[in-house]
Amino acid sequence: MPDNSAGNNAMKNSAMKNFIGSRAMPDLVYHSPDTITDLMVLMDTHGTSARVVAGCTDFIPSIRTGRWCFDQELNLIDVSKMDELHQIEKQGDILKIGAGVNLTRILESPEVQTHCPVLAQAVEQMASLQVRNTATMGGNICMASPAADTVPPLLVLDAWVMIHDAKGEHKVLLTDFFTGPGRSVLTSGQVLTHICIPVKKSNEAAWFQKIGTRTAVIISVVSAAVRVNVTNGICDTARIALGSVAPTPVRVTTAEAFLEGKPLDDQVIKEGARLAAHAISPISDLRSSKEYRKDMAQTLVKRSITACTEALK
Amino acid sequence: MKMPLTFVLNNQQTTLEIDARQTLLEVLRNQGGMTSVHRSCEEGECGACTVLLNDEPVNACLVLAASVQGAAVITSEGLVKNGKPHPLMKAFTDELGIQCGFCTPGMLMNAYALINRAGEVLLTDQIIRKTLEGNLCRCTGYVNIIKSVQTAQKAKLAGDWW
Repeated sequence: MPDNSAGNNAMKNSAMKNFIGSRAMPDLVYHSPDTITDLMVLMDTHGTSARVVAGCTDFIPSIRTGRWCFDQELNLIDVSKMDELHQIEKQGDILKIGAGVNLTRILESPEVQTHCPVLAQAVEQMASLQVRNTATMGGNICMASPAADTVPPLLVLDAWVMIHDAKGEHKVLLTDFFTGPGRSVLTSGQVLTHICIPVKKSNEAAWFQKIGTRTAVIISVVSAAVRVNVTNGICDTARIALGSVAPTPVRVTTAEAFLEGKPLDDQVIKEGARLAAHAISPISDLRSSKEYRKDMAQTLVKRSITACTEALK
Repeated sequence: MKMPLTFVLNNQQTTLEIDARQTLLEVLRNQGGMTSVHRSCEEGECGACTVLLNDEPVNACLVLAASVQGAAVITSEGLVKNGKPHPLMKAFTDELGIQCGFCTPGMLMNAYALINRAGEVLLTDQIIRKTLEGNLCRCTGYVNIIKSVQTAQKAKLAGDWW
């Protein structure tokens, strides 16, 4: 779970870029604190040379490909052994997930399956078993990839994260967390410790779908998550979030506002999906063109809302 | 930074001198002598470096060696007992689940964990495909690989397993 400060000053030393293996990095000191208190001491001692990691499944390729370079000794702080970050527990109406919980545990957790099944649905489509056994929830969020698959479900569930620093703990809504590709509000000395998700209500349904160039082990071309709460046939809350269509995973509030207060019939769903695609301006890149992304965003939103209404029948 | 790494490698308590920058893949191959752990994509796409870390399959290329302090690692060398190939390996050769063999050690480790997890539940084509989705075979031998895994599970249920 890295903060932004040490990283992206990348490319400073482009000569390092094509080196492979350990040579791509300056010297590294490995720390593995057991408690948040120890972690805070380490962060304080090492300042900007500290880098927080957990599963390292994104960190290692980032180093190897030269996406990240460091020109000074790095203090790598591995938080994956901290018991405090390994809990999944229900506290009242909230499911609290430790940032160090790996994706396999999310997928298999009865609490997640009962209280926020859409998260398990998204995780099931992520990466491979080997990566899910290593990669963490917190890491997927902190890397702040526009294509992070856990994020659209968390956005539609109105999740927030707990951030720990020298002053203590504070809460940040996930909608306010991301500031750009690979960037978030986390600053040096801060660590994301928990993810808090309001539990599923009886009139609620949520759905996640993604499109990639193959079904497994692939970065999303477009992903969509939808949540609706329906009372007496009328949608009273709608949430739509899209991944890989903007610099960060985004909510499309215009489409949400359109759905709220209406019965979710075919016509309304179609128009809601059209508005969602209208609200985004994706880019063309290696994985896909902007036109395809827009078209698929519309299709995925339509399918997802439809799946929600089916689930509520 | 140089540091000592103590872990259980194929049931043997092992201490190696490593650099904190090394991945588990590099340490297993270079210092540990476990050359069945194949180096290929080095970004978690292909699964050729799959090993068991505390009984769970992981990509050794995406694990920092320093983080396995005190853990148990099994590579496909560890499946061999008294020079005898594991029944899972025998199933792969009997069912022609091997062509060039490059992906095989990774396939074996993922399949070994799957068969152990499954217990008495018979492994369907679908479950095997879903589980092995992180292991690429460029000889396109998936059909025989799936047969191999099913044959190996039968061997396990018949008591021929370790």
